[in-house]
Amino acid sequence: MLEKIARSATVVVSIPGDMKPTNHKRERWTSKAGIILAVAGSAVGLGNFLRFPTQAVQNGGGAFMIPYFISFLLLGIPLIWIEWAIGRYGGLFGHGSAPLILSRMWKNRTMKYFGTIGVFGPLIIVIYYLYIESWLLGYTFFSATGKLTSIDTQEGMLGFLRSYQGLGSENLFAYTYLFFVITFVLNFAIIYRGIRSGIEMLCKIAMPLLFFMAIVLAVRVFMLGTPDPALPDANISAGLGFLWNPDFAALLDAKVWIAAAGQMFFTLSVGIGVILTYASYLTHGDDIALSGLTAGSLNEGAEVILGGSIVIPAAVAFLGIAGAKAVAASGSFNIGFVTMPFVLGKIPAGALFSFLWFALLFLAGLTSSISLIQPAISFLSDELSVSRKKATLILAAVTFILCQAPIFFLGNGVMDELDFWAGTFFLVVFATLEVVVFAWVFGIEKAWEQIHHGAELRVPMFYKFIIKYITPTFLFLILGFWLWQHGIPTLMLKDVPKENIPYIIATRVGLLILFIIIALLVRHAYYRKYKRGETS
Amino acid sequence: MNLGGWIFMILSWTGILSLIGFCLWRAHREPEDEL
Repeated sequence: MLEKIARSATVVVSIPGDMKPTNHKRERWTSKAGIILAVAGSAVGLGNFLRFPTQAVQNGGGAFMIPYFISFLLLGIPLIWIEWAIGRYGGLFGHGSAPLILSRMWKNRTMKYFGTIGVFGPLIIVIYYLYIESWLLGYTFFSATGKLTSIDTQEGMLGFLRSYQGLGSENLFAYTYLFFVITFVLNFAIIYRGIRSGIEMLCKIAMPLLFFMAIVLAVRVFMLGTPDPALPDANISAGLGFLWNPDFAALLDAKVWIAAAGQMFFTLSVGIGVILTYASYLTHGDDIALSGLTAGSLNEGAEVILGGSIVIPAAVAFLGIAGAKAVAASGSFNIGFVTMPFVLGKIPAGALFSFLWFALLFLAGLTSSISLIQPAISFLSDELSVSRKKATLILAAVTFILCQAPIFFLGNGVMDELDFWAGTFFLVVFATLEVVVFAWVFGIEKAWEQIHHGAELRVPMFYKFIIKYITPTFLFLILGFWLWQHGIPTLMLKDVPKENIPYIIATRVGLLILFIIIALLVRHAYYRKYKRGETS
Repeated sequence: MNLGGWIFMILSWTGILSLIGFCLWRAHREPEDEL
C-alpha cells in the first residue's frame, strides 16, 4: 500500500527526444524498498564496522566528523545521485554495465574501454572479497562451537587467524577451503535466482537482520560499564570518549581531510559500478533522488551510530586506552578478527555475541559481494545475449579459478595487490570518470533533468554547482593526493619483500591479460550492437 | 568522554537519524501532501 502511495506521488516528466527506450526485456525490482535495501546492502560492509571507527580514532576523534560530514554533502550524496542516474539512464536502453552506458553518454571511441573498468573492477574485488567473506562464515562457525572464545590471549587469537589463513602452526586449511566453497556457492546461487528472487529477496531479509544484530551488539557493549573494577579507567565512557572527544588541531592536517573523504568514498559503494548496475533495473519513471539519499543515509546510520558503538568502546573497556591505541594502530582487520573475538570471549555468553559479531559481518559481506558480481552478469546477459543462468555458470567457473590466486598466495602479497588496483586505484579513477562524463560531457542540464525524472524529492539547486564543479575537484584532489602518497610507492614496489616481487609482477600481468580480455568482449559487444543500430 | 565528545556524538547521531527520518517521511507521505 505504502509502495503504491509512493509510486503515485512520482513526478511525471516526459522522456527527452533523443532517448528511445529499448524493447530489450530486463528484470525489474519489485519494490522501491527492494532496491534501497539492495544498495544499502552493497554499501554496508566491513568498512562500516571496522574501517570507520579506526579512521575516526586515528584522525581527530569527534573532530573527524566535520570533514566526514562535509565529504558526505559534497562528495557522497552527489556521487550517489550521479551513479543512480547513469544506471537508470543506461537501463532505458537495455544496458546494465558501464562500458556501453558510458559510451552512449560520451560518443567517443575510447569510452567503452574506460567503461570496462566498471566490469573489471568489481570482478577483481570479488576474487579476494569472497575469500575474506568466507573467513567470516568460518569464524561464525567457530564462535558457535566455542572454539574461538576458548582462546584467552590476543596472541593466541592472532595465531588462530594465521592458522585459518593456512600460514600458522595448526592445520585448519581444510575448514578454510570448505567455508570458501560454501560462501562461493551461496553467492552464485543467489545471483542465479536473479534480481527479484535472488538479490532483492536476500536483502529484504538480510538487511533488517543485520541492523538488528548490530543493535543487539551495540546495546550489549554499552552495558559493559567498567568490566574490571581493578582498572577503573577502562570503561565504556572512556571508550566513547576515545572515539568522540574532538582534537581540533587535527583539522589543520590535510591528511585528516583526505582520510575523511576517502572513508566517505569507500563506504558508499560508489565508483565501482555496482550501484550503476542495480539502478539499471529501475524503470525510467522510478525515483532516484529520494531512494539514493535513503540508501546513503541508512549506510551512514550503520556506520556512524552502530559502527562507532561496537568495536572501539568494547576494546577500550577491556584493554584500556593504551591497549585500544595499539589495536587501532595495528589496522582495522586485526580489530575485527583478533581483538573483537578476544574481547567478546571475556563477557558472559561470549560465544553467542562472538557468533552475532561474525554473522553480522558475514551478512554485511554477502550483501556487498553479490552486488559486486552483478555488473559482470549484467554485461554478459545484456550485451552478449547470454541467458542469466548461463552467464552465472560461466562467471562462477571463471571466478572460481581466479579466486585460487589470493587463497594460495595470500602470504605473497597477492591479495594486497588486487586490492590496490581494484579496491583503490580503479575506484577513484572510475568515480572521477563518471562525474566528468555525467556533469560535463552528458551535460549538467540533462544530468539535472535525469536526477529529477520521477523524483519524489526536489534536489536543492546548489547541488547543480556542486555536481559540476565541487565533486570533480574533490575527486581530482583525492586522486592526486592518493597517487602521491600511496599510488606511486606501491607501483614502484616500494616496501615489497624481495621474495614477493615475482608474485606481484605475475598478479599485474594476470590483471592486464584479464582487462584486455574483458575489453575485447566489450569491443565485440559494442560492434555487435552497432551493427544492429542499438548504440546510436 | 568530555563535553566536546558528547556534543559531537549527539549531533552526529541526531543528524543521521533526522536524515533517515526525513527520507522515510518523504517516501511514505500521502500524494495530497504535495499540495
